[in-house]
Amino acid sequence: MSLPSLEAWAAEETLGQRLQSKGVSRREFLEFCGKLGIVLGLGSAAGPRLAQALQALKRPSVIWIQLQECTGCVESVLRSAEPTIGNLLLEMVSLDYSHTLMAAAGHHAEAALQQAMKANQGKYILVVTGSVPLADGGIYTTIGGRTAKAVLEEAAEGAAAIVAVGACAHWGSVQAARPNPTGAVGVAEVIKDKPVINVTGCPPIGDVVTATLAHFLTFGALPATDSDGRPLFAYGKRIHDQCPRRAHFDAGQYVEVFDDENARKGWCLYHVGCKGPATFSPCPIFQWNGGTSWPIGAGHPCIGCTERNFWDTMTPFYDRLPDVGGFGVERTVDILGAALAIGAAAGVTAHAVATGIHQVRERRKLPVLPPDAGKE
Amino acid sequence: MSGTREAKLSLAHKVPPPTGAYRWVYLWEWPIRIMHWLAVAGILTLVVTGLYIGRPYFMTGGEASSHFLMGRVRFAHFTAAAVLVMTGIVRGYWLFMGNRYERLRALFPLRRRDWVNLVRMVKFYLMIRPERAPHYLGHNPLQQLSYTALYAITGVMVLSGFALYGQSDPGGFIYSATNWIGPLLGGMPNVRFVHHALTWAFLIFVPIHVYLAIRADHLERTGVISSIVSGGRFVPVDHHFVDE
Repeated sequence: MSLPSLEAWAAEETLGQRLQSKGVSRREFLEFCGKLGIVLGLGSAAGPRLAQALQALKRPSVIWIQLQECTGCVESVLRSAEPTIGNLLLEMVSLDYSHTLMAAAGHHAEAALQQAMKANQGKYILVVTGSVPLADGGIYTTIGGRTAKAVLEEAAEGAAAIVAVGACAHWGSVQAARPNPTGAVGVAEVIKDKPVINVTGCPPIGDVVTATLAHFLTFGALPATDSDGRPLFAYGKRIHDQCPRRAHFDAGQYVEVFDDENARKGWCLYHVGCKGPATFSPCPIFQWNGGTSWPIGAGHPCIGCTERNFWDTMTPFYDRLPDVGGFGVERTVDILGAALAIGAAAGVTAHAVATGIHQVRERRKLPVLPPDAGKE
Repeated sequence: MSGTREAKLSLAHKVPPPTGAYRWVYLWEWPIRIMHWLAVAGILTLVVTGLYIGRPYFMTGGEASSHFLMGRVRFAHFTAAAVLVMTGIVRGYWLFMGNRYERLRALFPLRRRDWVNLVRMVKFYLMIRPERAPHYLGHNPLQQLSYTALYAITGVMVLSGFALYGQSDPGGFIYSATNWIGPLLGGMPNVRFVHHALTWAFLIFVPIHVYLAIRADHLERTGVISSIVSGGRFVPVDHHFVDE
């Protein structure tokens, strides 16, 4: 059996023993736990507690199913920043099924999934990437001849926790954008009897995925979430409020077009449609690909990919206001509003003139009184 | 006063004689008057700063550390919003404590008579049989409808404004109290759109409101404009009003 984890776990082996046998020093492990505590917002003091809990773990099983998606989320997780966090996590868990990463294919892969679910019934963590197409009986994504919905429901049945990774698993992402031809929905709309945590983004930052898994492994519970099911340690603040270009926003310094002098100076991208003011994500802090950069750092406005329905509501990506359906491209609300305001002013003027004319006419109809009228 | 030239101009409901028996009726109590002018200041500030926030039309140069333009504009916007909300709260209280022209009931043309008069008021402004226009001491049905609509629009502005404002402090009181608005409208960009688009309602309302006030003051000569400063109007003693 070819499993994604490089070496199968021995029976009754703890994570501590396993890391030791693989040559991971205690110092490295403690450093990892310290960083994990910081990522989760627990502070470095939580490190020893994390270490204690993690090293006693016995073969934590992770089953990673991929439904209607592009594999970008898996790619993102494989590029987790600190080598320790991303790699150690893959070492820490027994990744029993991931059809992108495993060597087996076809029937062998599906058999591995069945076996893993049976062996760890009620104990495994289920990671889901991709949306679930529900239209036309769910035929738009099938794996091994079964619909994505059936695969998800079966896998969710015995899961201890469900982590929906990426915008697709969160709410459907691009395939769920209007008109959503495949009827794509997120995991939480199919699995309603269990809590689903949404590590969202298109893709999410790998570190957030690994930290969420580590939180569950350590505490036996998923981290606290916001009203949309996203972990607060990562999605608790707006990009706008953590942005290194914020000083330019407050100063009134904006990029007007992408190749202007202001863009070269690194000014704020608000004018060119940055969605940072409405987007909750840790991008400015965690950054991407080993802390190399992130969209705004590279001079591109945020497109708001961690927010529900962003393909519909955050577009056009390079403008401040959303498109209005059925209005036509040119007739934006400002043109309409300005036309009405000017129309009101013009109407007022015309009405005033008409009132004057009317009044003069009426006055002419009055009898002309003799100059001495009123004197008796 | 026999022989005095009493012009019966039809547009003016009745132009009173230059001299004669007048009485002064008290309509708008001091909370209403003060709130009106605070709201004027608040709305003007909100519109000007709001259009800047929506599309910054000035830029600053040099180091970011030596400027705080957007910061100040936003501060002015939020302060003016706070003033406007305060006026709204006082106005809301006065819907129950005020006189008959200020109370909740004065906001809605509910009776059949009001609807007939509403049509007559519209005709009056279109100069169709203006002499049949009803005479009101307080707000006529057309005023009631438009002011109540403006209150409703202001309510939407306040709610969407707080929803946008609350995002800077997730988990805070304002955020928690308004985080149902984003999902309701399908996302924060839509909230922003509504907040932006309704700004134009004020830009359309204000010139019409000011014009009609000046027009009424000029035609009726009963001190309509002064009533929002002094609180009352001078009306001829023999004049009957629908809402008296």
